[in-house]
Amino acid sequence: MLDISALLEEIKNSPYAEMSVCAPHSGRIRFAPDLKEGLILSGPQGDFAEKPGTLLAHIERERNPRPITCPERGELVAVRRELDGQFVEAGTELLQFRHFLSRQEVEKRILQKALHLFLAPERARYYFVPAKDIKIKTAGPRSVFVHDGEELFIMSRMKRETPLPYHGPEGVIYAVYFSHAANVESATPLIGVCPPDMLPQVEEVVLRVQTEWPERS
Amino acid sequence: MSGGKHKILIANRGEIAVRIARACLKLGRDFVCIYTAEDAQSGHVRLAREYGAQKGLYRVSSYHDANELLAVADDSGADALHPGYGFFAEDYRFARRVQRRKRPLIFIGPSWQVIRDLGDKINTKRLARSLGVPTVPGSDKPIYDEMEAEKFARTIYEFQLRQGIEHPVVLVKASAGGGGMGIEEVHDIDLFRSIFRRIRNYAARQFKDEGVLIEQRIRDFNHLEVQILAERDCANVVHFGTRNCSIQSTGLQKRLEAAPGFDSKTLPYNFDADQLLENITRHSLVMAREVRYDSIGTWEWIVARDGSAYLMEVNTRIQVENGVSAAITRIRGEKGVDLIAEQIRTALGQPLGYTQADISFAGVGLEYRIIAEDPEHRFTPWVGRIDNFRWQERDWLDLYTHVPRDCPYDIPTEFDPNLALGIVWGQNLEQARAHGREFLDGLILEGQSQNGDELKSNVRFLRAKTDEVLSF
Repeated sequence: MLDISALLEEIKNSPYAEMSVCAPHSGRIRFAPDLKEGLILSGPQGDFAEKPGTLLAHIERERNPRPITCPERGELVAVRRELDGQFVEAGTELLQFRHFLSRQEVEKRILQKALHLFLAPERARYYFVPAKDIKIKTAGPRSVFVHDGEELFIMSRMKRETPLPYHGPEGVIYAVYFSHAANVESATPLIGVCPPDMLPQVEEVVLRVQTEWPERS
Repeated sequence: MSGGKHKILIANRGEIAVRIARACLKLGRDFVCIYTAEDAQSGHVRLAREYGAQKGLYRVSSYHDANELLAVADDSGADALHPGYGFFAEDYRFARRVQRRKRPLIFIGPSWQVIRDLGDKINTKRLARSLGVPTVPGSDKPIYDEMEAEKFARTIYEFQLRQGIEHPVVLVKASAGGGGMGIEEVHDIDLFRSIFRRIRNYAARQFKDEGVLIEQRIRDFNHLEVQILAERDCANVVHFGTRNCSIQSTGLQKRLEAAPGFDSKTLPYNFDADQLLENITRHSLVMAREVRYDSIGTWEWIVARDGSAYLMEVNTRIQVENGVSAAITRIRGEKGVDLIAEQIRTALGQPLGYTQADISFAGVGLEYRIIAEDPEHRFTPWVGRIDNFRWQERDWLDLYTHVPRDCPYDIPTEFDPNLALGIVWGQNLEQARAHGREFLDGLILEGQSQNGDELKSNVRFLRAKTDEVLSF
């Protein structure tokens, strides 16, 4: 049985995630002028996350300046100012910030302990089989009920595709942890399945997090 | 001669980046390498650190980001770009952009017009047909519509039945695919639609283009190639003979290549093999001159058992297997020909400095593609860590690899698990085969997967196929 109170308490004791922002590609970096340590940063906002987060920098390659915005809200901890105006390589760390976990993130962390996680057997790209993919795109993952042995994924490595059946208890796909065409490390969760008998507990997790976790604006 | 000091950006990875870097060193040219996070351990990165120019190594987000590659070229001061194979090598828009941008670079490959005309399988077929060069029967445009595709497939199927072919087969190929990826055979025309959909979905996922080609499957064939090189001004077009790439995986990917294309001195053929090699070489040269070819390129042919030859496609780039042609080539009697170095030299504006009359051929070359895969299970790629990779140096062996020998190497899952190219040479087929066996028997290749399974490779497959090479 899941001890939701203990898990919530554990997260409350360490409610931050230390995060960094790296150069998404090579290019010349220009930091936003008003960046300073301690600045409160906003993440994407709006019902559809259509409003980007705080502007952190621009990175330019081939006369295409690309804004780098904050991916989550938080507090700026350090900026690598020595890189300002320099050509940086992809993956270079640009700044660090401290992010206070949101309700959704806390819910996700706890649910990962409640749901049946189906793990990636290999480092690969994963796709849902076309029939399920269409259903998930149109009606959401919770519209899909999966059975043990059912062909659910396509595993793609080096452009070779192999069908991958789901193994585990029957239930609805409650959470999808991978994104289209992104590489997934071996033993990383692909989906979280909620068997019918687990549903009350999962609903309780959602309710408790909604009521007990303060959302910072 | 080309004036000034050139600096070449190698816009590729792995084994081909290693070969290009080595060619640059041979020519005394500075070079710059790029790598992604997954390739940090690759040999080409190490080569760039040791021998590359100042500002000679850059980490990039992707080998597919043209803006990023060109930004790296500018920051590093490169004035020429070698695309290698794959990625941007046959993208005429990229080649055009490289040459026309505000700070133009020399594109080490054919002119963009040539890539446009020949780099596309469909255009090549049309052009070949217009010159009377035979091509494989099939569609000459990508098909997107299922009904149209099925109608076309039925026509090809019925054509084969009328030809007396007992078991006709239609090939369904991803139009934007290459290297044997995205190809399936249809043996029962009633299953065509499901296979067409599968390939179309695969093509959309892997190549972002749903276009599909329908072709007649020619069974029992040999896959031959003609190696062409032309000066930048197209004045001097030469060939470096033929090679045979018929030993392939179940997915039609090349595994063992031999040069020359046939060996009529040793092996019997149902047709006049020497005449056939001469014919396909002549046809290839005619096409190259017609399109004003101006770099290195390969004309790929399918040869049926009755000796009829069909042009399949033209690869407007350097290839994996160029080295095996170089192994048997002599220029004014001298060995040590490096076709990548020749490609770079001519792209930088140097004349060839020799004509066809100066080129001769000696012996037989075999090229082994050492790949981490499981030939007993449809050549499934093997993923894991290489712990030990060693071979014995020989004067008849050239080995190219990006796998480090002094530390473990994790095979990236983003790319094909090609580990090395081993090219052996012999005075004749018998000696080349003996050298090939000796090389493979002495090769040490060990590693394990995350689950602790032992490394799987195609070495045993290559060893067995050495006995069959060049026979038809």
